Amino acid sequence: MAAPAATKIIFEQEGIFIHSITAGGEDQESLVSGFLRVVQKDGEICVEYKPLEDAVDPSNMLCAGKDSSSVVEWTQCPRDRPQRAVEQQQNYETEWDMVNTVSFKKKPYTNGEGVSNHVHERSKWAFFFNLAELKSIRVKREGWSYLVFCLKDDTTLPALHFHQGSSDAFLDCLRRYVLLSESPGDVTSLIVCSHSKDLSQSFENLLDDATFGLVQKLRKDPYTTTLGGFAKVTNYIFDAFRWQELEDQQQQQRRPAEEVADPLNEVIPGLEINQQEEPGFEVITRIDLGRRPDVERRDPVSAEVWAKYMDPEGGLQNVPYLKNIIFKGGLCHALRKEAWKFLLGYFPWDSTRDERKNLQKRKTDEYFRMKLQWKSVSEEQEKRNSRLRDNRSLIEKDVNRTDRTNKFYEGPDNPGLILLHDILMTYCMYDFDLGYVQGMNDLLSPILYVMENEVDAFWCFVSYMDQMHQNFEEQMQGMKTQLIQLSTLLRLLDLSFWNYLGMRTLRTSSSWRFSCFA
Amino acid sequence: MASKSSLLKVILLGDGGVGKSSLMNRYVTNKFDTHLFHTIGVEFLNKDLEVDGHMVTMQIWDTAGQERFRSLRTPFYRGSDCCLLTFSVDDSQSFLNLANWKKEFIYYADVKEPDSFPFVVLGNKLDVIERQVSTEEAQQWCRDNGNHPYFETSAKDATNVAAAFEEAVRRVLAAEDRADHLIPTDTVNLHRKPRSSTSCC
Repeated sequence: MAAPAATKIIFEQEGIFIHSITAGGEDQESLVSGFLRVVQKDGEICVEYKPLEDAVDPSNMLCAGKDSSSVVEWTQCPRDRPQRAVEQQQNYETEWDMVNTVSFKKKPYTNGEGVSNHVHERSKWAFFFNLAELKSIRVKREGWSYLVFCLKDDTTLPALHFHQGSSDAFLDCLRRYVLLSESPGDVTSLIVCSHSKDLSQSFENLLDDATFGLVQKLRKDPYTTTLGGFAKVTNYIFDAFRWQELEDQQQQQRRPAEEVADPLNEVIPGLEINQQEEPGFEVITRIDLGRRPDVERRDPVSAEVWAKYMDPEGGLQNVPYLKNIIFKGGLCHALRKEAWKFLLGYFPWDSTRDERKNLQKRKTDEYFRMKLQWKSVSEEQEKRNSRLRDNRSLIEKDVNRTDRTNKFYEGPDNPGLILLHDILMTYCMYDFDLGYVQGMNDLLSPILYVMENEVDAFWCFVSYMDQMHQNFEEQMQGMKTQLIQLSTLLRLLDLSFWNYLGMRTLRTSSSWRFSCFA
Repeated sequence: MASKSSLLKVILLGDGGVGKSSLMNRYVTNKFDTHLFHTIGVEFLNKDLEVDGHMVTMQIWDTAGQERFRSLRTPFYRGSDCCLLTFSVDDSQSFLNLANWKKEFIYYADVKEPDSFPFVVLGNKLDVIERQVSTEEAQQWCRDNGNHPYFETSAKDATNVAAAFEEAVRRVLAAEDRADHLIPTDTVNLHRKPRSSTSCC
């Protein structure tokens, strides 16, 4: 049983209610009054709720041994899952006990304590959990505010109603130990992330030789220990995935975020196993990248150098190296017309000159066949084809405003504009599902400028679009992924700025807030 | 009565290429660029102005018109004080789409009372000779869809641009005055009671 001496109360608030349904009445709510505490117990921060009447009875303490920090007594708690987790836990324990600073050892409540079977009617509402076990908090206001805790094993605790005073002081107290960030999918939900406190604590343990901490372990088995340390990063990445899934779901629902009932609960189950099997993972909240390495720009690759990598048949040799020097120095402009066809994916790197000649011939026929398709649509037909009409209208508008200060496209009736228009229209025939999307004009413009040839420009554009497709799709998954990656990086590199951006745009429901920053 | 907030958020919606960005740039910077880059996502500019004795900062949000960019622009609809529905008089399709833009705005901005929300309709590109939408048609639509004020503008030669934006401000201030009249802001509503609060203490 818990030794009360080891528990330090950090925060306490009385007058917090659980609305329970009484056994008799259907709609009759009865109120359980109690107090909420944040306690420090054996160096770990826990949250405790107890109905008032049972406050003095230590036998109703629902927490077990000192390291079973996440015992939760709540009738909805799935019984079999913690059981399994414990078995796995045993295996981890020997490997991880010195590495983990936050222990997640779960002991099934039914093991010996036996309290649950004899709980007082009121004490069944008591709960106790380690803050590290907390996944999210839903904050609702209904004249007063109430909180619903959701734990990482998907247990949802009964709502706590703050009839006297607000929940702000309690949440502020939690913020000293964990990061509460607003869920991107649901403004009423706060997602809990471990705080740098854990991290700093792990450093303390690292330096504390007496505990036979990490240092000892490192001495014995540096490889496993180091890998173990790295493995902790996964929890951090989970968060990023969680975002993505939320985004996806939001997109599917096509409804404002507030109307999505409880995205977290629906999304997380797929992740929970990982989180249970790999306990003690930490969120790395800050990374110092150190001094920026000096980078020197090399000379652009010239036609002579390029020719050196070409075998007698015209196939290119040592492609990775070639790409590397192009990456570091770029290309002489004169060489771009040829090299871009490889770089953009129109020509295979290992193709011979003859193969490329054949390819170009084939592709020329194919291009003009597709071009004829839209060219031959009569005005009458187009009146009945809204897709084509819309595409044409957009293309005409956009071609008219594409790089018009560039010599290649400037002035009225510039032939370059007609080429841009024709290639974009033909691309609609090539990929009818996608059609024309704004921004394609900007990708095509430099390609056409370099190629100075309608057919080559078209096929280079097609290959390039294969890589860029995601950015133009209806769901815009490509852009979203990039924004999420940006967000993840930013969170890692500058958490306070990341928080600042999040705080400032509470009303925008998704990570698009970063689009302004990006 | 003085305006509660001096910052008004006005959002420009309408099909791609009808001249939303040009209208905003003409109004805020008094410049016009024939080949202005198409908008991706959203952009905004601020302009301070005085309308009927009220000093306000108008924050004009310009959006990407293409259907595809919906998820980039819709998160920014919330909190708008006025919506400028824009079409181009030389493009009948952009006129037909006004209804869709209005619908999209009401849905994503989460407008509580769409009937009283201030919309202003702008028929741009008045300078173009070949019109596809007549003034009467446009006026009729505005009458039928909630009596919205209608302005024919040209961002190119600056016709009516300032008048349209100022009307937007006037509509917002008028709507706020109405709201202020109904529920004075500095009183406490004694009748509002939290649900089931009687049983709690």
